[in-house]
Amino acid sequence: MSRLEAKKPSLCKSEPLTTERVRTTLSVLKRIVTSCYGPSGRLKQLHNGFGGYVCTTSQSSALLSHLLVTHPILKILTASIQNHVSSFSDCGLFTAILCCNLIENVQRLGLTPTTVIRLNKHLLSLCISYLKSETCGCRIPVDFSSTQILLCLVRSILTSKPACMLTRKETEHVSALILRAFLLTIPENAEGHIILGKSLIVPLKGQRVIDSTVLPGILIEMSEVQLMRLLPIKKSTALKVALFCTTLSGDTSDTGEGTVVVSYGVSLENAVLDQLLNLGRQLISDHVDLVLCQKVIHPSLKQFLNMHRIIAIDRIGVTLMEPLTKMTGTQPIGSLGSICPNSYGSVKDVCTAKFGSKHFFHLIPNEATICSLLLCNRNDTAWDELKLTCQTALHVLQLTLKEPWALLGGGCTETHLAAYIRHKTHNDPESILKDDECTQTELQLIAEAFCSALESVVGSLEHDGGEILTDMKYGHLWSVQADSPCVANWPDLLSQCGCGLYNSQEELNWSFLRSTCRPFVPQSCLPHEAVVSASNLTLDCLTAKLSGLQVAVETANLILDLSYVIEDKN
Amino acid sequence: MLSSMAAAGSVKAALQVAEVLEAIVSCCVGPEGRQVLCTKPTGEVLLSRNGGRLLEALHLEHPIARGLHAITDREKDPLMCENIQTHGRHWKNCSRWKFISQALLTFQTQILDGIMDQYLSRHFLSIFSSAKERTLCRSSLELLLEAYFCGRVGRNNHKFISQLMCDYFFKCMTCKSGIGVFELVDDHFVELNVGVTGLPVSDSRIIAGLVLQKDFSVYRPADGDMRMVIVTETIQPLFSTSGSEFILNSEAQFQTSQFWIMEKTKAIMKHLHSQNVKLLISSVKQPDLVSYYAGVNGISVVECLSSEEVSLIRRIIGLSPFVPPQAFSQCEIPNTALVKFCKPLILRSKRYVHLGLISTCAFIPHSIVLCGPVHGLIEQHEDALHGALKMLRQLFKDLDLNYMTQTNDQNGTSSLFIYKNSGESYQAPDPGNGSIQRPYQDTVAENKDALEKTQTYLKVHSNLVIPDVELETYIPYSTPTLTPTDTFQTVETLTCLSLERNRLTDYYEPLLKNNSTAYSTRGNRIEISYENLQVTNITRKGSMLPVSCKLPNMGTSQSYLSSSMPAGCVLPVGGNFEILLHYYLLNYAKKCHQSEETMVSMIIANALLGIPKVLYKSKTGKYSFPHTYIRAVHALQTNQPLVSSQTGLESVMGKYQLLTSVLQCLTKILTIDMVITVKRHPQKVHNQDSEDEL
Repeated sequence: MSRLEAKKPSLCKSEPLTTERVRTTLSVLKRIVTSCYGPSGRLKQLHNGFGGYVCTTSQSSALLSHLLVTHPILKILTASIQNHVSSFSDCGLFTAILCCNLIENVQRLGLTPTTVIRLNKHLLSLCISYLKSETCGCRIPVDFSSTQILLCLVRSILTSKPACMLTRKETEHVSALILRAFLLTIPENAEGHIILGKSLIVPLKGQRVIDSTVLPGILIEMSEVQLMRLLPIKKSTALKVALFCTTLSGDTSDTGEGTVVVSYGVSLENAVLDQLLNLGRQLISDHVDLVLCQKVIHPSLKQFLNMHRIIAIDRIGVTLMEPLTKMTGTQPIGSLGSICPNSYGSVKDVCTAKFGSKHFFHLIPNEATICSLLLCNRNDTAWDELKLTCQTALHVLQLTLKEPWALLGGGCTETHLAAYIRHKTHNDPESILKDDECTQTELQLIAEAFCSALESVVGSLEHDGGEILTDMKYGHLWSVQADSPCVANWPDLLSQCGCGLYNSQEELNWSFLRSTCRPFVPQSCLPHEAVVSASNLTLDCLTAKLSGLQVAVETANLILDLSYVIEDKN
Repeated sequence: MLSSMAAAGSVKAALQVAEVLEAIVSCCVGPEGRQVLCTKPTGEVLLSRNGGRLLEALHLEHPIARGLHAITDREKDPLMCENIQTHGRHWKNCSRWKFISQALLTFQTQILDGIMDQYLSRHFLSIFSSAKERTLCRSSLELLLEAYFCGRVGRNNHKFISQLMCDYFFKCMTCKSGIGVFELVDDHFVELNVGVTGLPVSDSRIIAGLVLQKDFSVYRPADGDMRMVIVTETIQPLFSTSGSEFILNSEAQFQTSQFWIMEKTKAIMKHLHSQNVKLLISSVKQPDLVSYYAGVNGISVVECLSSEEVSLIRRIIGLSPFVPPQAFSQCEIPNTALVKFCKPLILRSKRYVHLGLISTCAFIPHSIVLCGPVHGLIEQHEDALHGALKMLRQLFKDLDLNYMTQTNDQNGTSSLFIYKNSGESYQAPDPGNGSIQRPYQDTVAENKDALEKTQTYLKVHSNLVIPDVELETYIPYSTPTLTPTDTFQTVETLTCLSLERNRLTDYYEPLLKNNSTAYSTRGNRIEISYENLQVTNITRKGSMLPVSCKLPNMGTSQSYLSSSMPAGCVLPVGGNFEILLHYYLLNYAKKCHQSEETMVSMIIANALLGIPKVLYKSKTGKYSFPHTYIRAVHALQTNQPLVSSQTGLESVMGKYQLLTSVLQCLTKILTIDMVITVKRHPQKVHNQDSEDEL
């Protein structure tokens, strides 16, 4: 199609980062994300003047998908965070805050972009190699033989999303459910290549969170009337299932590109119905107990099947097809003619269930890798938030299964990492610089900017005016409540570090975060017994955090490297 | 409604446009270049350092600017705008544009090739470790690609991306694979890479086999002897084909036809199964029935492939589509091919089809998975990789040079006439150590074993003659006293030189002597070192016997020559090409007796320097542009090898093509005397993109 109007010339701006407008928009975005961060983060209410429902959230994925950013630089930033979140689910806010901080800190220095980018890259690889190394002092192995660490991981995710509006008891309940749902998806006889099953989240709004539950198998929602019509099956053995992906409604489609001329008096409907009933007869003779169809079943066929004590359920929808295929072991049937005997599958049992006001038809599998998580919450927005959180938690558990390590949460990893980098750049700058043209002073400056960006991330965990301290032995984070008596006795004021691994009874020295202190070596290699004894740790997903760190630094580098912005005004 | 407006096509306007564009593109040039962020009208963001892309994003209105765009689009560097700008500057006071444009055209068609062939070629290195077999060693390709990506992708990724490209090149190609592989990869580059957003760039990798951006519609794990077929239509027979009519007379007839269709489909799929076909690749959506019987028979199905994907697969395995037989027989299906594997590949929770095709051509199928935090970055990397491929494709071709040499006896000095064997494509002997020989490395060591090789050379070139005038032209140029009188003062270096006159004069004095003593040997070098660096090494040391043969047909005033630049010619990066060409053009200008030729050569020579100036903009001290320039000129005068401060190589071919395009564009711009703006919708589609609506 040709254009009706000549294209307008684009707008070209040089050195975009130096303009006031960009700085302001960046700092607005930074304020939005920092204020959401952490368990005590503030919620954001997003509503669109053109319609749609109001969304209350503090999660990056919901926040950024609703925000409309116009500036190209912000677009790059939000797009890279959204892409990170869609692949790892977790650590979106962390990435966003770190990226904003890095850009801000580095800009203040006024070094050339080449130097900044090169050194940022070196520091990033230093972080990555430390977090992946055996001596890393802020990661712990995940033991799949006990639920303790896994529960800590799930709980940390739930508590960091305040918009779910969960009480302590509810958090415990939902954590346990999520873990159960995850464990149900792992096949029992796992040999070599594991293919995980699937947890289907079934919405049940307006119920108490505590009523949420996990069931093995699949729930198909139905009206009460429909459910009443289904006759109970009394059978001791497994039920034979036929799953159709083609329509059984009797319409003749796809006759080719030419024309089909039907003579007067010939009824195609009758012809097709005959065919359908023949199919029904074959199903009966094959002793099928349950017929499921993705699309519509012709009422006559349905009735015919019911008469022969076969349960027929139609309009399953395409989303349930894959889990159904997996669970029943069927081959979706696309033929109205002869059916191969090996395309039938089986389920252990079926039953009807009622949860809240909804009625379900429940397929109970022989061997479960598919389960349904019935999730309840009081209202729509809280439910949406909880659903997103559950998906995040399930994804994080899957990532942890692949890479069985967890990072200490609550900001301890960040402060520890910052201490490590400070120490490394002060004591061994040559190993970082190697053959580069950068000077040591430049390295010190960038390292300081990098570390303070990391520390600012944890600084934004505190929203109530409290103080954040770090200890000089482990490099962990400790927070003090606001309006507590001045520097009296630290061990009394502080009880536990951010992740909950250490308590203040040890002989420790503290200093305020962001205050200038001499670099120290944070203790590496976690003591094994400390990890085992600690029951209530705050943990983060290693894979997601590593990637978040990389994405944040890469995106910041990308933005710092921009010399022009060309905006297409068409 | 038609409204038109005419404006004088002044060079001034063109100059302004070029200046603005130069400002934008010059910040992207070279290893220190930065990124530009563009937004598309759809709101997508794109990162780029590609001049063509940028100019496209600008939606230029000025016709001259659009003319410039046309070149940069095709070619490698965006930096030639700079060139034009400098050109333009000289014409501020000149009114004979048409005349100059003619002179430019003459220069481009008749002189430039000669300069390339006679002077520049002696500096060329070859990317091939063995020129005859055109084998390519990894280290030289790495140097070439690293330099290329340095100017194309972001600073923190260029090393990684160039490694990726290098790996890809060596994984996909066997030593014998020729230019055809480049064509295949170039044509199907889009299908050969997969972009994955949300992962760090460092997760990008090369995967053996072909990755299709589709999921299986039916997947049945299989192993052992696996065959595949390609279909381009539905396997299930339909009631009626296009243009035909199917008349249904009874219900029974309908039922039997349906039954027949089902049985036929079932039979075809069974037959495929019996032939060990485990994979069905279809360019159209297959009906449910086909999918069902495929599943029953353990055949995996991939549907809805684009025609490009199908043609790529067909080119790799040389397979024609399977046509369901009309009359059904149990005979073997001819159009099947073996596959090593076919399995789903999961990249960031999205499923792809991963095929292990057995290639019947020189291309060994591999796919590139490009990761990046945002799509814009992935697109940039994809573009850069594709560009690198195009550059390599060009590099592997020979270039024919046609030019005219003129010999004039007016000054009484011995005339320059060079005889070239156009038919003789002379390849240098294998240096034997498998890597590019740099003239400034280990010259002494190589000298010894290279000595005997040169003997053979001399025989080959025994009918060659030496330009005598060269010495005279070298000396005046190098003397700083000449600089202030130079009419083209845009070269800051020269001004710079004159400031330091005292010191420099001293400096050049021994040099002048040097020149005269080195005279006899230099003459040889020019001829012998033609197209091969190995020889350049030797003669540069002055260890060779002088060859002096007089040409019989001296006194001819003109002759047309043709020769060729062998494939794989490269030069070290860092403005070497430009400085060399600048130097030789100035020399040439000194020798010319026609005023317009001199002028055009001088103009182009000075304009060329604009590029190294941009490249060295951020460098200070020893590596700043004036220092580098003086070093280079000095080295050329004393016959020493040029020392580059950067490692890396660039294709001479690309540079040459770019220069000719620029000259042609410039010629066109200068001939335009009026710009008429037509505010009407273009009538035809092909008119839409026409640059000059004159």
